[in-house]
Amino acid sequence: MSTDRYSRQSFLGASAEAMISRCTIGIVGLGGGGSHIVQQLAHIGFQRFVLYDDDVVEESNLNRLIGATSADVLAETPKLHIAKMMIYGLQPAASVRGFACKWQEKPEPLRECQIVFGCVDSYKGREELEIACRRYLMHYIDIGMDVYGKERPVIGGQVILSSPGGLCMRCMGFLTDDKLAQEAALYGNAGHHPQVVWPNGVLASTAVGLAVDLVTNWTCRGRSHAYLVYDGNDATVKESITLRNIKIGTCSHFSDSDVGDPILVEL
Amino acid sequence: MSTEIKLSGGLHAEIMHDLTRTHPFAAERVGFVFGRMGSHGRLILLNRFHSIPDDQYVDDPAVGARIGEEALTWAMQAVYQCRPTREGIFHIHLHGHKGEPQMSRVDSHEIPRLLPGFQSMDRDAAHGIIILSLDHGSGWVWLPGDKGPCQVDSINIIGVPIGVFEQEEKR
Repeated sequence: MSTDRYSRQSFLGASAEAMISRCTIGIVGLGGGGSHIVQQLAHIGFQRFVLYDDDVVEESNLNRLIGATSADVLAETPKLHIAKMMIYGLQPAASVRGFACKWQEKPEPLRECQIVFGCVDSYKGREELEIACRRYLMHYIDIGMDVYGKERPVIGGQVILSSPGGLCMRCMGFLTDDKLAQEAALYGNAGHHPQVVWPNGVLASTAVGLAVDLVTNWTCRGRSHAYLVYDGNDATVKESITLRNIKIGTCSHFSDSDVGDPILVEL
Repeated sequence: MSTEIKLSGGLHAEIMHDLTRTHPFAAERVGFVFGRMGSHGRLILLNRFHSIPDDQYVDDPAVGARIGEEALTWAMQAVYQCRPTREGIFHIHLHGHKGEPQMSRVDSHEIPRLLPGFQSMDRDAAHGIIILSLDHGSGWVWLPGDKGPCQVDSINIIGVPIGVFEQEEKR
């Protein structure tokens, strides 16, 4: 199956093309971040996708949604359709299972993935995805950005890798009860987060790089967790200071033996 | 609908480490690995490994490894005790070559005979057989209510690198 198409990425290893084509990737959220990820994965050679997004293209998406055009606003094209067209345009033989609903309404296909990208807005959404990934043995890669302040705006963002057996987003100091409680207090009044195309591109590219390393281990780092912080004003991506300073080696929030759906046991 | 087995890279490494140890007299090692079915029933999630102590093997030069009554009794009891959490048990061993492993003549004659016993201990769990090679793996699962096995379509190792071991005819 090897062709000239992948000759420029042959440094990934002799079997990389086959490994990439066999891996099933889940992407939850196909907006500003997810659309970049879809495009890059299809270019790299990924063939098996499980996609979730229940939204349609709106005018306010055109500042960042890769693949969407003005015509899609008029047609109210589902973002899922934009993603499928992107994949099939690059990988005509790809297997794409797309669901125009919340992943929680149709979780079974997601559970078959090896890697899941979370491109969701809320901490609660991230927590739920990470729990699903731990219980169903999937690598979870989270991306997110925000803009803080009005007079002198600061663009921030993160890329996090959470793998079964490795540190989780709570261990790494990203998810906290305080953040979840503050978000819950704003329920229904959170408004829209600022979103622009270039930070999404940086974060998505970084996340895709982690995924390719998970599949091929081309860096030989064997990385089971990562917390990378984006500073959009300084144009840098660095390892989180929080992660660097924590002194824990194993996750205390998830047990390796707790797999599958929780079950009530009579005592 | 495909049948798949998943396990973490850490568990896979633990199993490989144990099965590649030399035994005082047996030519190879076997073990038991436990797992639960996912909610749609054809996804099996392995979660822990049991190494069989050296003294529970029987010296039988006719086969690579034979385990004795004590190991089998332990396995039956473990399945019984796992009933509340519906964990099934998988007999696992290693073929020391690369590529997709298949059951040897001895494997196909001897190992499936264990399965009715496991099923009798817990009929609501999936039990089976897994054979690993140095870079691949194959599995056979007896799903609840099934008298015979179905071959696993893929075994997925969620580590670094990720391993997706697919049955060759399905590729």
